Amino acid sequence: MPDEPPPFLGTWRRVYAAVLIILCLIIAACYLFTRAYQ
Amino acid sequence: MRPLDWIVLITALVSMVLYGLYRGRGSNTVDRYLLAGKSMPWYAMALSIIATQASAVTFISTTGQSYVDGMRFVQAYFGLPIAMIVICATVVPIFHRARIYTAYEYLEQRFDSKTRTLASAIFLCQRGLSAGLTLYAPAIVLSVILGWPERTTTILMGTMVITYTVLGGIKAVTWSNVQQMYIIFLGLVVALVTVIMLMPASVSFGDAMFLAGAAGRLNAVTTHFDWNDRFNIWSGLIGSTFLFLSYFGCDQSQVQRYLTGRSIAQSRLSLLFTAVVKIPMQFFILFIGAMVFVFYLFVEPPVLFQRAELDRIRQVGAFQPMAEQYNQAFEHRRQAALALAEAHHARDSAAVGRRIAEYRAAQNEIDGARTQAAKLVERTGGEKDFSDTNYIFLSFVTSHLPAGIVGLIIAVIFAAAMSASSGEINSLATVTVVDLYRRYVRRTASDHHYLAASRWATLFWGVYAVTFAGWGSRLGSLIVAVNVVGSLFYGSLLGCFVLALAFRRVGGTATFIGMLAGEAAIFWAFLFTGMSYLWYNVIGCVAVVATALAITSLAPGAASTTPGMRQPG
Repeated sequence: MPDEPPPFLGTWRRVYAAVLIILCLIIAACYLFTRAYQ
Repeated sequence: MRPLDWIVLITALVSMVLYGLYRGRGSNTVDRYLLAGKSMPWYAMALSIIATQASAVTFISTTGQSYVDGMRFVQAYFGLPIAMIVICATVVPIFHRARIYTAYEYLEQRFDSKTRTLASAIFLCQRGLSAGLTLYAPAIVLSVILGWPERTTTILMGTMVITYTVLGGIKAVTWSNVQQMYIIFLGLVVALVTVIMLMPASVSFGDAMFLAGAAGRLNAVTTHFDWNDRFNIWSGLIGSTFLFLSYFGCDQSQVQRYLTGRSIAQSRLSLLFTAVVKIPMQFFILFIGAMVFVFYLFVEPPVLFQRAELDRIRQVGAFQPMAEQYNQAFEHRRQAALALAEAHHARDSAAVGRRIAEYRAAQNEIDGARTQAAKLVERTGGEKDFSDTNYIFLSFVTSHLPAGIVGLIIAVIFAAAMSASSGEINSLATVTVVDLYRRYVRRTASDHHYLAASRWATLFWGVYAVTFAGWGSRLGSLIVAVNVVGSLFYGSLLGCFVLALAFRRVGGTATFIGMLAGEAAIFWAFLFTGMSYLWYNVIGCVAVVATALAITSLAPGAASTTPGMRQPG
């Protein structure tokens, strides 16, 4: 079974990096949310 | 439940079953019945994965947990994207190319039959117990709303799930999951909007957020480290990464979802989409619980949300003074909350500081009264370690939401239960037939025979899940119970797959012994330490890998891969 490229960002490595960046942003947003309403 | 609620609920339930049956047409070969002929697009797999994971427990218990403990449970999902990336990069292409029905088939290709069988048995034990809990949660719904016995409602729920799962196989399960997720998303949005609209006119959305935060209900991230603390950022990032690696890499109920993909890329996209969506979705559900908390600052909640126990302790002499104390505590808190909201509006920071102290003191009074009531339940012959967390959201929905929306929320809970349960039953049947029946009982039979065996196995596991659902009432917060049960077994499975993928020198016997050692280590941690369950996966995985590597070093005979077994591509 061939390993197709992703439909966006060109390579899977870039897609994985994008997911990690989104995770960092989500954690940062949750942290700021907690601090704002502590 | 009013007539409009019944119409909404029955329409939703009937449409779920009929849609599942409709989309499950043509599942007339084993490949189509168990893997949908590898034809699924990424979005259907993604929604099915989310739906299978988000059981009714997610809505019933998570909202209640947020009400009593705040939003920090969201941290338990921080490891999900990391785990998904690892799985996409390693497991997904290997499983696709190995052309397998179950994850455990791969273990025989890599190790030997006993390792495959042990892994299959661990999965069947763990997922079989979880399947019972998955059906138990909606049974609580109807027992609270209609007073039906939980057993009766469990059987009704199970019958609906079994019908389309037995007849339509994984195609029916996946596409009905897609429809169920649409209902769930709609219900979540409607629930949040409604609870905010039910707040007093003098309390804005900003005030509601402020009041929830001041009571510690918006604590999405906690950074202190404590082994015994279930939810903090460290257990979330490290412990839950291991949990989700196990869950999505070794648990057939999830693996089977993405094995139905028409290509490796489609399977990867489905997992990565889940990784990105799941944390915000969990945050959203927890936020609803926090807003329900704020709603009950202004409308007096019952001292206990489980009506049956509340009615029982009302007959006890000690209840009346406790109830009076609770009423006073509620009035103190209501006044303090209004005063705090006013000070917040006026941007008077000195007044806010004073009011927050009063507000938190009043909250402690309420918590104290609720604790006393729970102890009264225990003292008068009720459940030990009584908790009404699972009843909070349902009690709110049925007591305060308008006609139609109650039916929709109940439909959401049913949709979640049915989606999770159908996925579990389907995967349990697949492992039973592929890893046990076809491996040990009938090695060569026609496709038609195995198709029939798969349908019978699905029916068996459906009945099994209904039978085990009775155990749910003996556990505390359900969402935690499901994860704890999973964590007792996942660590060993993960260790086994880590050995398979990363340590080519390690053979079947060493892995088998390693898995037994891993289980022993996990049960030791469970029985003799107060450690958070998220760490069990780490302990189990490390114990399996360390034991197998030690055996491989000390006894080279155990290191060799069983002769004749095919190495994975």
